[in-house]
Amino acid sequence: MIEIRLHGRGGQGAVTASRLLATAAFLEDKHSQSIPMYGTERRGAPVTAFVRIGEKDKMVRSLIHEPDYVVVLDSLLRKTVNITEGLKDDGMLILNSSVPPEEIELLKPYKVATVDATGIALETLGRPITNTAILGAFVKATGEIGLESVIEAVKQQWKGTLGEINVKAVEAAYEATEVGDPKIVAEVVGEKAPAGSRADWRTFRPVVDLEKCTGCRLCWVYCPEHCIEMVDDKSVIDYAYCKGCGICVEECPVGAIEMKSESERGE
Amino acid sequence: MVGEEIVTSGSTSCQGCGHAILARLAFKAFGRKTIFTLVPGCIWITLSRNIPLFSTGTVFEGGGALVSGITNGLAARGIEDMNVVAFYGDGGTADIGLQGLSGAAERNENVFWICADNQAYMNTGGQRSGATPKYAQTTTTPASYIRRGKRTKRKNLPFIVAAHDVAYVGTASIAYPSDLVGKIEYAKGLKGFKFLHVQSPCPTGWGFSPSDTIKVARLTVQSGIWPLFEITEGNDFRLTYKPRELKPVGEALGLQRRFRHLTDGESQEIQSRVNGQWKQLLEIDGKRLPY
Repeated sequence: MIEIRLHGRGGQGAVTASRLLATAAFLEDKHSQSIPMYGTERRGAPVTAFVRIGEKDKMVRSLIHEPDYVVVLDSLLRKTVNITEGLKDDGMLILNSSVPPEEIELLKPYKVATVDATGIALETLGRPITNTAILGAFVKATGEIGLESVIEAVKQQWKGTLGEINVKAVEAAYEATEVGDPKIVAEVVGEKAPAGSRADWRTFRPVVDLEKCTGCRLCWVYCPEHCIEMVDDKSVIDYAYCKGCGICVEECPVGAIEMKSESERGE
Repeated sequence: MVGEEIVTSGSTSCQGCGHAILARLAFKAFGRKTIFTLVPGCIWITLSRNIPLFSTGTVFEGGGALVSGITNGLAARGIEDMNVVAFYGDGGTADIGLQGLSGAAERNENVFWICADNQAYMNTGGQRSGATPKYAQTTTTPASYIRRGKRTKRKNLPFIVAAHDVAYVGTASIAYPSDLVGKIEYAKGLKGFKFLHVQSPCPTGWGFSPSDTIKVARLTVQSGIWPLFEITEGNDFRLTYKPRELKPVGEALGLQRRFRHLTDGESQEIQSRVNGQWKQLLEIDGKRLPY
């Protein structure tokens, strides 16, 4: 029996990924369970889901506390959520990250697989929904499930074009996945953020072009997070609280605000 | 848009949440001397901790009683300069909370009732409510070729409250902040029951990109789906936003995934109902409504 825990953010499809994985295992005549964690599944908030694959008489129906594999759908999540919690010593981490496994800092020598799932999702789907891409990485890194079964499960989930582009995402991630050993460190230093910071909810960050900004304050009025200040009649964004919704970009009448990918900032 | 910032950053609401924009604008208008009450919903769960004012909450059914009790308690102690705000969603106003609303309105309690209307029970995943529009798809009214989303029209809540002969009834939208803030600033000085029905688009529940919250709100107003008006004391009706020509409803509906299944006939039906309603509103604009 293998046990898998998936970490993602609301809207990235962690729960769908767990269902697809369970379906793929089922298609290989295995018994499988997909368990979403009950909690706040808000868009952007951390979400957990579980998959259990094995024989029928060994199945239990609990949450998974000591997984064999941990799959992380979001590139910044590992800075705020303890993703290695309970992971077995010979376990493996499958991370959405644009850096190779050798640059991932961990306390214990787990195996690590990385893939730039956000980049692949943006290329294939046009949206930062990383669930299907990370499944391709899971197949490549672990070999527990065949690529064909995952593709079949994806096709059953979405018909037509949506299915095709998701299959493309699976295949692209399968090709791009790298497996290796992480950098072992004594202590993982997280980013220091103020209380209640929502900085890690973003996939994109709004960047203000101060030359173009006319100081009309429309972004300041409409920002749901109240994280835009007017300094010398120009918009200045407090990135500690910006969730990256993009309302300011949509509402700016002169197009002075632009969305830039978070991963471009370097991890 | 003057006024002290009351609501703080760092709430756990979804990206592009309409309630977050509404809360910030509303509490800027109310100011620091405010007590607000809550019933279960997104506002309580995600936003209330970021509104550093005295607040208390109760069950859906008790919303009207709670807010009445607070205002009467303050009056008994001789405190008169406090705004007492019921900050509820559409479930706590139109559905489960309706009897409490009706009771408080009938007694003409000195409270300001804001209904933040996201048109379904979004906190629990998007079940239909009495405020869900016809044909909208929710988790309890799925769309297939047999069932076409919600089967009935939404409640006409502002006119239900207006029929109680209260101090102030208004509708507002987060896309028109000066209208929204102006209505609150005018009505908060009145004595008696004040009701403001604010449309607050929900990116997660309605199915649009979080960046389009204001765009969707604006298009629903410009197409006449969400008319902005106020009914002041003496039942004087006044439209506060009168475009020369309404935009077609298709623009606003097309952005929302919950209306994706609409056929041409169904969106025609919505269009003709909106046109009919708009004609009626223009007829009574500036006139005194009968009780």
